[in-house]
Amino acid sequence: MNAMKKVLVLDDEPIVCERLKPALEKIGFYVETFNESQEVIDRVTEENFDVLVTDLKMKKPDGIEVMKYVNEKSPGTKVIIITGFATEETAREALSSGAVDFIAKPFKISQLRDLIVKITGDE
Amino acid sequence: MAFWKQLLRDRGRTRGVEGLKTRLSSFQDLVAKNNRVLELFADAGEKLGGEYVFDIQYLHGLARSLEEEVRGVVQDLEALTGRRNKDLRAAVERVSSEIGAVIDSRVVAPKADYVIDLDAVDADLAEVVGMKMARLGEIRNHLGLRVPDGFVVTTYACRQVLDHAGVTLEMEEAFGGDPSPDPDRLKAVAAALAGRLEDARIPAGVARAIRTGMSRLGRNTRCRKVAVRSSALGEDGDLSFAGKYRTVLGVTAAELTAAYRQVISSLYTHEVMRYRMDRGAHPGRGLMAVGCLCMVRAKAAGVLYTLDPSRVDEKVVVVSAVRGLGKAVVEGVSVADRFVVARDAPYDVLSRDTVVKDQMTVTAREGGLKRIPVPEAQRSEPALSEGELRELVSGAMRIERYMKCAQDIEWAVDTDGRLYFLQARPLRLSPTIEVRQPDLSGVVNRYKVLMRDRGEVACRGIASGRVHIVENDDALGDLPEDAVLVARTSSPRLASAMSRIQAVITDVGTATGHLAAIAREFRVPAIVDTRCATDLLAEGMEVTVDAEENRVYEGRVDELVHSQLLRRSAFEDAAEYRLLRGILGKAAPLNLKDPQSSSFTASNCATYHDIIRYAHEKAVEELSSGRRMNPSRNGRFVRRLELGIPLDLVMIDLGGGFRKRDKGRSVGPGDLTSKPLCALLDGLMTEGVWATGPADMDLDGFMSSATRAAPLSNPLAARVEHNLAIVSESYLNLSLHLGYHFNIVDAHLTDRRDENYIYFRFAGGVTEMARRARRATLLKRILVANDFVVEGRQDLVIGRIKKVPTDVMKNRLRIIGRLVGFTRQLDIHLRDDDALERCVNGFLEGRNSPLDCTGAS
Repeated sequence: MNAMKKVLVLDDEPIVCERLKPALEKIGFYVETFNESQEVIDRVTEENFDVLVTDLKMKKPDGIEVMKYVNEKSPGTKVIIITGFATEETAREALSSGAVDFIAKPFKISQLRDLIVKITGDE
Repeated sequence: MAFWKQLLRDRGRTRGVEGLKTRLSSFQDLVAKNNRVLELFADAGEKLGGEYVFDIQYLHGLARSLEEEVRGVVQDLEALTGRRNKDLRAAVERVSSEIGAVIDSRVVAPKADYVIDLDAVDADLAEVVGMKMARLGEIRNHLGLRVPDGFVVTTYACRQVLDHAGVTLEMEEAFGGDPSPDPDRLKAVAAALAGRLEDARIPAGVARAIRTGMSRLGRNTRCRKVAVRSSALGEDGDLSFAGKYRTVLGVTAAELTAAYRQVISSLYTHEVMRYRMDRGAHPGRGLMAVGCLCMVRAKAAGVLYTLDPSRVDEKVVVVSAVRGLGKAVVEGVSVADRFVVARDAPYDVLSRDTVVKDQMTVTAREGGLKRIPVPEAQRSEPALSEGELRELVSGAMRIERYMKCAQDIEWAVDTDGRLYFLQARPLRLSPTIEVRQPDLSGVVNRYKVLMRDRGEVACRGIASGRVHIVENDDALGDLPEDAVLVARTSSPRLASAMSRIQAVITDVGTATGHLAAIAREFRVPAIVDTRCATDLLAEGMEVTVDAEENRVYEGRVDELVHSQLLRRSAFEDAAEYRLLRGILGKAAPLNLKDPQSSSFTASNCATYHDIIRYAHEKAVEELSSGRRMNPSRNGRFVRRLELGIPLDLVMIDLGGGFRKRDKGRSVGPGDLTSKPLCALLDGLMTEGVWATGPADMDLDGFMSSATRAAPLSNPLAARVEHNLAIVSESYLNLSLHLGYHFNIVDAHLTDRRDENYIYFRFAGGVTEMARRARRATLLKRILVANDFVVEGRQDLVIGRIKKVPTDVMKNRLRIIGRLVGFTRQLDIHLRDDDALERCVNGFLEGRNSPLDCTGAS
């Protein structure tokens, strides 16, 4: 049996973490959620995660900075950006900075769940 | 719309049409914004279903977009009429500030009465009565369980008291720009604020409202003493504040104002302010509603946990009970009987640990509480009988199912043996327990999936129970507590069982239908439109319904049901969800329905929907009346079309739309030269389409939760309103209000296939939810069958077709004409899903009236 895949969720809005955690746990992921980006930076130095789902606009360090840090520290971690300030430009910036995909808020839980299943299944 | 602009440019060159050009352009803008507002409503309504993740930013964005579009509609109307509309502007300000108050409700008390009866309280009032009282209201008014009578002094009253006492000002000044002062400073500020409040006089209006509330309670219930309980914003929500606010028991009418002040003063204890600050909230910005509930003459009372917090895997209920009032057990200062009870009916008692109870707390005659000895014979007896215990656990499990997470409940049994629920909140589990969710993917794989992704989830949630297939009304009277209701149709009559069942699954129906709305109201997991549930699920079969992943498993998947209970709270309780419901409540209801009514005025617009409806009506009226058009210059472009049916259609010609034979104000069908309008009228005027025969009134069909507040009226009697067509030889833009339906057709018909298109838009309303859903389904199916690309949300349907040959265009416009006439009297015929089938098939086979399709008399 495969080891449980590990997902980090970072969003400064608690509601996003509260909704995503049970939905992802239910389909077999190990999930940790954070509202502060510094906590995520600390956490990924301790342990590798398969996926990071992060909000884009946050207090410094913002989503792009966290992603760059994670890509450097843990190149195997795939990053998905979620944001309520979706423009083509932000999507392009996210993807060119190393995100595997980009989802605009509000989104259907199933949309993110299917994406995570797909990218963790690709390995 | 390049064609449209070109036309305006061409016409603009003609002398005398400058004003017309500007006003038509304003009208087009108004219609476009009006449509965008309706789309925003539909889109936001979809978010309430529970499938979406959205945050406060989305709500801010939604409020901003709605306000922007509605302001635009008003400006367009003003440009069109050349008059400033002060009343309409004031209405926009009003709604916008109400919505602002909803969004800011975490810190600003929404305007409300000072006192609200507990009978009128539910979750929608959470910002007014605090979450603790909102939950109690839900338990009393939605679940029908016994809760003491009482009333709530609102957060709005609290705001008045704080402002009046100068506490708000002093608090803001004390913290200035630093909401995280050092401990000594915080202590000093807390003492100053609490002191100020304790010395303050309660404003006369608030004091009067509290006195009136108490004397009404005394009159209605003979209650002489109340429990005065805190229900602060945020209490029992994101922050628990458990035990940090004050409660005063056994309060008489004479003592009530003082007790109220004492309870709200606990907003400013050092401990509370510190707690708020440590959790990232502003230490001083709190508001509190206060519940005043009749004291229960308790022979026993205590606390119940629907899971044992120290051993959540054991799946048992734990009850602590003492003699008399439960204060001692709540505060953990007294020994208590402890019962462990099974979570499933018949709620067997698994263990009991009875202690000797020497003393008990009771209400003192003179007010307040006292401790007295327990009668000798009762000291070693259990505080609760087995029957009382079963009743208590049965009620607690209903509360847990409704709240969708494990509960911490305070209860009491009075000297007549009546059980009361005093408080219910999510059971706080240690964070380590919450993290230890089982690997559910591994668990569920062991169970047979009976249904997967069939139909739509109408209300999220997980439940298990035994299948109970409902064939007729009789079966609803006697449902077992663990019933999973399975039915062929999503008939609204199933609603009567909703408060008692575990889950509901239907063969047909929609997620926007009436049953779905009721399921959400009672938070019952629901999957509709499965097409196969009654075939696949057998009577009595044990199943687990996962209406989050849209699956039904054979057997009871304990881990799945259990995983839901360990969550902190249901998504419906999230502030964002309640705020969205609040915003839509202020923006979306339509109250102004009849333009002929004397109440159809700008100052009566209470919602954004009212404002855009009013503005649209006035815009059409303005254009069709030809006011502000110099007859010698513009009059020749405006004519009323005489059709012999009560359509009241005014046309504005952009060129080649109709022949102007004389100086009269009207033309007949023979004068029409607009090809798209001719084709559409060809359909609309087909024999039988404009049926005016009697249709039976089924008033039930016009009652709905959405329109409950609106006067019940016969839509067939609704007068035909001004309708407008902007035409040219090849172009048609038609706005049609027929009764409560609003149709828009925008079409371009030429010999050049690439330039041809039809845009058809239908928005309904008024009838009950199930019929709206059927009506939307009918429109979609008929449009799809005629090659339209269709989209729709809730009862809004849009069909588009483009780049088709001229003969196909004419045919489709004829069909749209028939459909506009057909839907005019459709709602009352769509009683059930069979009628829907008959109407769709009948129309496609060429029948022109719903009456001919359903054969109803």
